[in-house]
Amino acid sequence: MNLSFTEEQILLKDSISKFCSTDYDFESRMKSVNSEKGYSPEHWRMFAELGWLAVPFSEEYGGLDGDQVDLSVVFEEFGKSLVVEPYLSNIVLAGGVLRRINWAEKGTFIEDLVSGSKQISLANYEPQKGYNLSNIDTAIDADGNLNGSKSTVLNATNADYFLVFTKNIDSYAFALVPKDAEGIEVKGYKTYDGFVSGELVFKNCKPEALISDENSLEVLENVILDALVCICSEAIGAMEKSYQLTIEYTKQREQFGQSLSKFQALQHRMVDMFMETEYAKSFLIKVLATEDDNEKVKLTYGLKNQISKAGKQVGEEAVQLHGGMGVTEEMSIGHYLKRLMVIANIFGSADYYLSKYIEK
Amino acid sequence: MDLNFSKEDMAFQEEVKDFLDKEYPQHIREKMDNGDDLTREEIVEWHKIVAKKGWMGHSWPVEHGGTGWDATKRYIYLRELAMNGCPLFIPFGLQMVAPVIWTFGSQKQKEHYLPRILNFDDWWCQGYSEPGSGSDLASLKCKAERVGDEYVINGAKIWTTLAQHADWIFVLVRTQDTGKKQEGITFILVDMNTPGVEVKPIITIDGDHEVNYVFFNDVRVPAENVVGEEGQGWTYAKFLLFHERSSIAGAPQMRRAVNALMKRAEKIYHGDNPLSDDPSFKSKIAQFNLDLDALEMTELRGLAAEREGKGPGPESSLLKIKGTELQQRITTLALEAAGHEALPFGGPYGFKNEEISSPKIAQISAAKYLNFRKVTIYGGTNEIQKNIIAKAVLGI
Repeated sequence: MNLSFTEEQILLKDSISKFCSTDYDFESRMKSVNSEKGYSPEHWRMFAELGWLAVPFSEEYGGLDGDQVDLSVVFEEFGKSLVVEPYLSNIVLAGGVLRRINWAEKGTFIEDLVSGSKQISLANYEPQKGYNLSNIDTAIDADGNLNGSKSTVLNATNADYFLVFTKNIDSYAFALVPKDAEGIEVKGYKTYDGFVSGELVFKNCKPEALISDENSLEVLENVILDALVCICSEAIGAMEKSYQLTIEYTKQREQFGQSLSKFQALQHRMVDMFMETEYAKSFLIKVLATEDDNEKVKLTYGLKNQISKAGKQVGEEAVQLHGGMGVTEEMSIGHYLKRLMVIANIFGSADYYLSKYIEK
Repeated sequence: MDLNFSKEDMAFQEEVKDFLDKEYPQHIREKMDNGDDLTREEIVEWHKIVAKKGWMGHSWPVEHGGTGWDATKRYIYLRELAMNGCPLFIPFGLQMVAPVIWTFGSQKQKEHYLPRILNFDDWWCQGYSEPGSGSDLASLKCKAERVGDEYVINGAKIWTTLAQHADWIFVLVRTQDTGKKQEGITFILVDMNTPGVEVKPIITIDGDHEVNYVFFNDVRVPAENVVGEEGQGWTYAKFLLFHERSSIAGAPQMRRAVNALMKRAEKIYHGDNPLSDDPSFKSKIAQFNLDLDALEMTELRGLAAEREGKGPGPESSLLKIKGTELQQRITTLALEAAGHEALPFGGPYGFKNEEISSPKIAQISAAKYLNFRKVTIYGGTNEIQKNIIAKAVLGI
């Protein structure tokens, strides 16, 4: 048994941690959030130069051949600083599809992701159709045109291309559609945690390519599983930072002639936040260290359930212990809660994954 | 002991229903049902309609223009308003400063302020918390110095709800620095248009502008605006807080919200079946309804006790804690039910998402959830309420 990070993983962790502490304070994060694109293109270029965008891809395409643990390391660090750059949408979701799919031309697209020169968003969920991945109406018709609607398309407004999960005759496929194709409408919006997302409507839209791998659904399932591990890792980073910020704040805030941190009732609450975070870490490590594929899937469902609940608890307690200041936009702590609540509810809630865990 | 309404009560219920059918304006009803914010004018419009009917003083004694209703009538009235989704009454005049004025104020103050409050001629706000004095309210520093017939106020208040709309503010000021911190606090009424009063918005995590800083720079206020005696303000402040706490449980609003959520859940799909068939969702809703029953009965017991002449006491802390916890639970359930449909946010970034297919009610569920984080903090945090119960109720 070995529960430690490799030397490379420690280097990766340190380099992200260093970047976040020097270049990613709360004020600059909010500047990015409130900018037109909703992230900093300059940071994105840096991520590419530092090789972070290359982590999960194979060397053949300029990648670093990283695994799930490497991605987890990246996201835990991102979570501590609430990084808003579109790593999840480009590298984990769209990149995750590309690196798994059987398609001869995927190389140039992966290389563009690695260099940061193009952005691609995965479009698989549909309005009011829930989280079961095969539950879609979008389809390719007899003329090869795409029709249907997609929702929760993360980073939609920044994407150059969309990878659209679609029905294709008796099976599923991914349609590759450029953002300015004829017959596509992109409706962007800001999400409540400060990211950008969007909905897509396709009306007789001719895809640039139709990737009809017979394993498309399985590919999508594996990509979402990867994404779950990534956002849960991110949540753990955010939880750790949340309780640390709370300890700092209660030490410095005085009421009744002493620091809030001296009140035993509040100390116990912070101990609970710490324990929840450690518990969550343990569960994540269990998932990362599990080798059996089937068991890993089941545990990943369990992880999403555990982290959704723990993140909510830690995030809410952090705000509560900050008092009125905790609910202000100008303080960072409320933004941690927002991200934790989004993580708790995207791709399916704690309850949804608990039932999947039971069924598996 | 029984829970049945008398014939007279049932007739009264019909009267309230009839009033709402006829007088509750359609444009306000629609906005409330959609979760849209009302303008200042619309809020005033609604209060004036109720005032015209003579029903503003539902918790007021008859001698000051109140309805003098018993607990059952008040319960029926407030429940009907809530079940129709009517806007909440702005409580700062009606439920907070008014009882202080009629209990501790001068005859002149009663005659001047109470009818204006009852008619919603003045919008009141509350100047209690300060940047350095939240839970430890008695440590407040906002200073008032007596100069001739006036007080000159200097200092800052924080979390002042809807101060941007207010005509008047009741303020706790320090008129004396010596002795215990609870001594030397004075309760004073200030016209928001007085030179030197400045309101600065605080934007909260739901993107809303609801609370404010209120700064006082050499604000000169007539000495006759002091309520009761100089230096006795802490007693009045505590009296007011009991009234505030007993009015924020909100059981009927929650009953309406949970019923609406259960109905919506029939059309929400996370997996293959509607959410309304999901065992964990159903169990959460059932648990919520049970807890709400208990809260409602606790509220009713409080109303009954009040009717017997016992004003709200430290027990109101119980209602505040349990009520606000449930308010947060229902907003959380709504957010979870909405799932990723809640992502589109018209909040602080200036986006409006009307064209997005996600249902409007799902889109506002995040803002609502975030807005309701405040309820366990305001009116005295729930931690402070537990201290009050421990000390004043349990005697420990």
